[in-house]
This record gives sequence, structure tokens and C-alpha cells, in this order.
Amino acid sequence: LNVNFRDPHLIPVWQKIQTGERLSLQDGLTLYNSPDLISLGKMAHFVQQQKSGDAVYFVLNQKIEHTNICVLSCKFCDFAVKKGDANAYEMTTEEILGTLTPEIAEVHITGGMPPDWPWERYVDIVRSIHEKFPHADVKAYTAVEIDFFHKKFRMSIEEVLRQLKDAGLKTMPGGGAEVFSERVRKLLFNQKIGAKGWFEVHKAAHKLGIPTNSTMLYGHVETLEERLIHMIKLREAQDETGGFLTFIPLAFQPGDTGIKPRNQFTSAIDDLKTIAISRLMLDNFPHIKAYWVMLTEEVASVALNFGADDMDGTVGQERIAHDAGAISPMKLAKDQIVKIIRDAGKIPVERDVYYNALNVYTDHVVGKIPFLNSVPFYHHFEKRQFKILPIAPRRMGLLSEKGELDAGLFSLMDYFRQENRLELFNWCIATRDQVKSVMLFSNHGWRDLDGKLIGITDETATSVKLLHVLLEKKYGVKARFERLHAGVNDYSKYDAVLLIGDEALHHNKLGLADYELVFDLAREWYDWQKLPFVFAVWAVKNSLPEGTKKELSEIIELALSQAEGHYADIGEFRGKEIGLSRNEVEEYLAGFNYRLGEREREAMKEFRKLVQEITINV
Amino acid sequence: MQLATIIDKVRNNERISREEGVELLQKAALLDLGELASEIRFRKNPEPRVTFVVDTNPNYTNICNIDCIFCAFYRHEGEEGEYTYSVDQMIQNFKRAAANGVTTVLLQGGVNPKIPFEYYVEMVERTAKDVPEVMPHFWSTSEIIGMSNVSGLEVREVLQKLWNAGQRTIPGGGAEILSDKVKRKISSLKGTSADWLNVMREAHKIGFKTTATMMYGHLETDEDIIEHLESVRQLQDETHGFTAFIPWSFKRRYATCR
Repeated sequence: LNVNFRDPHLIPVWQKIQTGERLSLQDGLTLYNSPDLISLGKMAHFVQQQKSGDAVYFVLNQKIEHTNICVLSCKFCDFAVKKGDANAYEMTTEEILGTLTPEIAEVHITGGMPPDWPWERYVDIVRSIHEKFPHADVKAYTAVEIDFFHKKFRMSIEEVLRQLKDAGLKTMPGGGAEVFSERVRKLLFNQKIGAKGWFEVHKAAHKLGIPTNSTMLYGHVETLEERLIHMIKLREAQDETGGFLTFIPLAFQPGDTGIKPRNQFTSAIDDLKTIAISRLMLDNFPHIKAYWVMLTEEVASVALNFGADDMDGTVGQERIAHDAGAISPMKLAKDQIVKIIRDAGKIPVERDVYYNALNVYTDHVVGKIPFLNSVPFYHHFEKRQFKILPIAPRRMGLLSEKGELDAGLFSLMDYFRQENRLELFNWCIATRDQVKSVMLFSNHGWRDLDGKLIGITDETATSVKLLHVLLEKKYGVKARFERLHAGVNDYSKYDAVLLIGDEALHHNKLGLADYELVFDLAREWYDWQKLPFVFAVWAVKNSLPEGTKKELSEIIELALSQAEGHYADIGEFRGKEIGLSRNEVEEYLAGFNYRLGEREREAMKEFRKLVQEITINV
Repeated sequence: MQLATIIDKVRNNERISREEGVELLQKAALLDLGELASEIRFRKNPEPRVTFVVDTNPNYTNICNIDCIFCAFYRHEGEEGEYTYSVDQMIQNFKRAAANGVTTVLLQGGVNPKIPFEYYVEMVERTAKDVPEVMPHFWSTSEIIGMSNVSGLEVREVLQKLWNAGQRTIPGGGAEILSDKVKRKISSLKGTSADWLNVMREAHKIGFKTTATMMYGHLETDEDIIEHLESVRQLQDETHGFTAFIPWSFKRRYATCR
């Protein structure tokens, strides 16, 4: 990527960004102080594309604000009232359920903190939604509310979270972070929990397998340095737990609040800079959200080219931002979000609470396995009319079944399943002997896994089948399987865990929990069959015009031939994210064969036969 | 057609074709386009300086016989809410504006066939004489064609009389989209693209400086937008009379055009 910098001060920062080197506080200030908005945007867009390709995520969600009665009196808030106030309201669980509709995928619950609700009422809201709307994932209660429960009901934070999780809580919103600065907290939010309390709650959630969001409220009295320190604190916590899904910079809405900032509203320039800089500073965050309710649709749309890959959702009731003067309409229909994302040149991706892609709403989408081993196909991929969607292999299969992808690098099992609608290309991801990125971490040797519980990756069917085949056909044992979800997991109940992709690669280097044994499934296969193993193959939708197929195959061949011989260079950025050196990247990628030859075809045939045998036996 | 080739052409100061313009409009990534436009902007105006003018935009009448479907302003004669101000009333208005620091008056109104040509000339003369602090930046092309119709004078003669009265610049409104296919749908009574370009050409020949506008985001296609830019570019090659180009997006809130 070429950037024509108007501001030469940005060049050293750009050099760091391109190689995946972490930015400092000083770098952040250089970015904020630069007038070169376009170059800043291009750099953030570069990182955005490395992480999310052309995808922009949204969710069909609804907000529940169960009450506006609050024991706190925060200056920036004009939502909360005291009990007895004419505008005070409290929703019963039945009323809350009555506002929900079946197509909702995520319910976002935050509200005031009333003095007199019993603990059971909060748990009941989560449980009832989870039971009545099993397809809707519950995202509930900010750290401030969790801390309030902890103090009011005299339970540990862990206990509060555990009970909510048992009731069906999936994730937590990121509100209440405001700005992690004691100076600002004393000025504006002295009743809130502050950085220490906020992180305590979020880290506890991550340890229990509850991923969370994070926020920053900016544009009031904080300094640029305080914003950057806020981001750095989040980055450090993410290094520790990996539990943050997204970062949401929230522009302060002056409205009828007790805060008088220097300017009434943040400028669009400040909003775009803050989005871009958070993308660049938060190198370990998967998503950055352009929260359109506060940014306005127009700025949010531009922000999708400035580092943001997340558009929040359809949003139901949004009283807090609205009462303070947000000018967006209350309800942005799904069609409108889809249009905004398309206008920005991106792929509208409807997601679930964990950012799994459920549907895409544009043409010419090419799926990309978001692992280091697929980089040789995508680094030089000349997109032309195509758009790239990074997506876990199993999800790619599901989208392809719905006809929503033109082409992709498919997990082998998904290709087998859809052979009648896909045309096989001559490229693949196959091993030579070992692979290092399909790993079984185990407390037992192969033959002792009989009857044991194995946590399996949610991301692909092929590796799981390979494990199946190895257990049953090579070692003659049967185990029980349970799906993990991507990201945060508690591994303690599993006798073994199967991981794939960069996660496997990462843990192969650093180890996983207390598992003592590590098996490389490709190695196991090779030692047994003396054949390579084909994990994924390139295939296109049968029904595509021949010209499009030809164009795609030219693009893939060109991309691969440009990548060959330069693996360390093309893999460096991704390698750094998972902790691999240039040499390790080079060695790892050189272990793959990317061209589908005779031996690979033979291996596919053999594996298919074995899979059919175990399927019949089940 | 390769996007990169087009971008290189722009960088090398080579003129891009219509087809290339459409390609840029449709396919270029937002920030690639922004970067390129920013480069050209600084090539033409190297200072990081953005100018503005303190002006006022009064309307002397809302009576209009052109009935553009995107317009929520006009009234027919006799319709409730219609108005026409006298020259005296407008001069008072300009004086108040000048007292508040205004230096330019952008005056436009409906195309009102009941107003005689003398009214317009007098408006310019009185402004030059009574409110010399402000520049009269008056009349869209439609109004100038309207003056030609009420007076029986050629457009060229109308413009010359306005010039003689003291006017030196003309606003670029009324161009909408310089594509007759679209103009027929949104403003069928407003004349053709050639009419707009012709008024501008005649004005530039006399020595007027004018702006050019484009209203987009309604019924036009990407090709129509590029056709518009091409027409304005051609006339600029010929006359060098345009000072600025002003694209504005259609505001659909109160209009009938959907």
C-alpha cells in the first residue's frame, strides 16, 4: 500500500504499523496532532483490512433499559432520575419480554441502579430472555452495575458473574469506562467505579469465559494524552485476557447534562481521528465500532473507511443517548444499515454476539480463512470487483450453502458436502508432513482417550473429522466431543482440546493450560498414511459465469506466484499478532503445499473413504 | 481499465476521459480518491488555506413558473404564501446585512413573469450606489433567461445591461444536472443544458466571473454526473470564466422528487 503523506511526521509511525510493531503514547500524539487526516485514515484502513478484510459487522439487536431510576448522579447523564420522579419507570420481566421479537439476535441490557430491586430480579431478566428467546444472546449489565450488585448484595464479583452466566448471560457491554483518568473521574464521574474497578469486573468476566466490549467517552474535558492512556490500558488488559471483542469510542453528547465542554459536539474530524487512532493503538483488538447512534449515520459511514469494522446494530430503544441529544433516528432499519455499509464499499455482515457471520448482503464475496497459512493466497489478491470476507472455515461452509459466497478456500469437509454446487480449483492448503496448526492438547495418550471428553474447535469440520478418523481408525478408540466457542474458554473440564489455525500455532509455542501432551494431527496422518493431508481447497460456485471463474483463477494464481519465495515478508504482520518471528513464519508457511497435485487428490480420496466408514459405524 | 492507471494519469496532470471518470466514481476506494483529490487541491492552491465569504442569500420573490419537482420553495401567482419584494425593500435588507458585516449578497428568486426587466437593472444599480460595501452576486441563469423573455432582449444584451449597471459576478445555480435526459424529468420547464451553458458562455465573454454548480443524489446516474463535469470542463477550457465548482447533494425532506 502506498500512502502519499502530506505530513512527514507520520512516516516513522507508518513503518511501525506495516511491520506490526506496537505504537507508543508519543506515536498516538503524533497521529492526533497531524493535520493529515487522509493518511491517518489510510493507515487505519490498512490495519482494518488486515483484520477484517472488507467485512463490516452489524447485529439485529435491541436495547432494554429496564429502569431509569438510579442511585448515582453522574454529571454527563440526563437519563437517570430518582425514585418518585414523574418520569421514573421500572419494567417488569413480562414487559421486557413483550418488547422483544423473534428475529432479534442480541439483547443489550443496561439501565439505572434502583435502590430497592432484589438480586433475583436482575437474574430473572437474563434467564427469562434466554429461555423465551433462545436464539437471542444476552449482553447485559455494565461493570458499574456489576460492581453495584457486588456491593449491594454482598457477593463477590465472580459470584455475581457466575450466577448471571448460569442464567444465560453471553457477553457484557463496555459502558462505564468513561475515561481512565483519576483527574477526569474526580471532575465528572466521581460516583463511578474508575479504572481499577472497571478492569476488575471485566477481567473477572473474561476469566469466566464471558467476552466483553469496551468503551471510551471522549469530547468533554479529557486531554488527548488521557485518551491515549485509556487505549493503552485497554491494550494491556487485552494482552492479559484476550477477552475484549470490540472497542467503542463514544462521542460525548452535551444535551441537557451537567457538563459544559469547550465545544458543543465533537467535530467529525475528531470522531474520525479517534476511530482511526484506536484502530492503530489497539493492535490486539479484533473490532472497532462506529456507534452510529452517537456519531450520526453520515460520520459512521465514513468511519468504515477509517478503521471501523463494526456498525453496532438495528438498536431498539436508545433512551440514554437520545435524551442527551443524539440526532440519529431512534431506529435504523436493517436495510438502512446495509445501505450505509455498501455505500462505504464494504460487505454488510450480519453477525451473532461472538461476531460469527450469519449472512452477507452483497455480491462478489470471496471467503478467506483468517489464518496465517492462507496469507500466500490473499496477500497479493487483486480484488477487482471482488470483496474479501475473513471467516472461520465452518462458517464459510454455512454461508456457501446459502449461496452467499462466490468463491473461497473451503474446509475440505465443506467442499465434500457441497461438491454438487462447487467447482474445484487447482489450489489447496495441504501439508507436506507436519502442520503445527491443527493440534490436540491432551492429558492422555491416544489410546487412553477412549470415552474421554474432548473440547473441539467451533471453527472447522475437517480437523474434527480428522481427529475422529485418527481416534477410530488408527487407534480404535472413541471419545466424546463438545464444541468450544472461539475466543475465551474455560478448558478445565476437558481431557483434551483440539485447536486449529493461529490459536493452535500460538499455543503450540506457548502451551495450553496444563495439558502435557501435544499432538500434530497432520503428522499423525502422515505417519499412518504416508500421504499429505488436504485441509482446505479453493472452489467456486458452479453457477458463476465462466468468465468470472476464469478471472478468479487468474487472480489466485497471480497472487500465489507473487507470494512464493517471500513468505517471511507477507506473513510478518500476521505472524507478529500470534507471536511468531519472521523465521518461524517462513518455516511454517514453507511446510505447506498450495497446489493441488496427484498426491493431494489421492489423499482427498482416501480421507473421504475413511470418513464414510466412520459415518456408517456411528 | 485499471484504476491504478487512471490514478497515475491524474497524478501526471493528464486529463481523464468520461469513462475513466465513471470508473473513479464507482470503484475507487474513498481514501484513495480523497488522497488524490487532496494532492491536486494542494497543487492548485499550495497554501493550507480555506476561504469563505460573509454573505447573505435573500430571495426577492417566490413566484415561479418553472415548477421543478425538487423545489420546495416556489409558489404560483395568487397561491397562499407567495410574495414579491420591491427594490426598496431589498435595498433595506442589504443595508441591514452590510451593517452586520456582510460583503456579498447572493440574490435569487423565482422566475416571475410579472416583474419587468427594469426591476433587475435597478436592483443592481441601487445596490452599487446605495450599498457599495456589498458585491451584487445576483440572478441564476433561469432568471436571466426569464429577463430575456420579458424584455425581448437577447441574453447577451440582458447580461451587458446588468454589467453596465455594475454587476460583475453571477452565481452558478440552476445547472442541476447538465444531462437533458434528467433535466426533462426534474425541471422540464427550466431549459436544456445548452441553455445554462450558453448563459454562462455569454457572461464569461462579457467579463463576468461565475461559479458552476451541480445538484446530485436524485434521479441522475453516475454517467450523468460525469457528463456534467465534462460539459463544465469544456466551457472552462473555452472561457476560463468559472471561479469555483459547487456540488450539492439533493435534500429530499420537503420536495416531491423521490
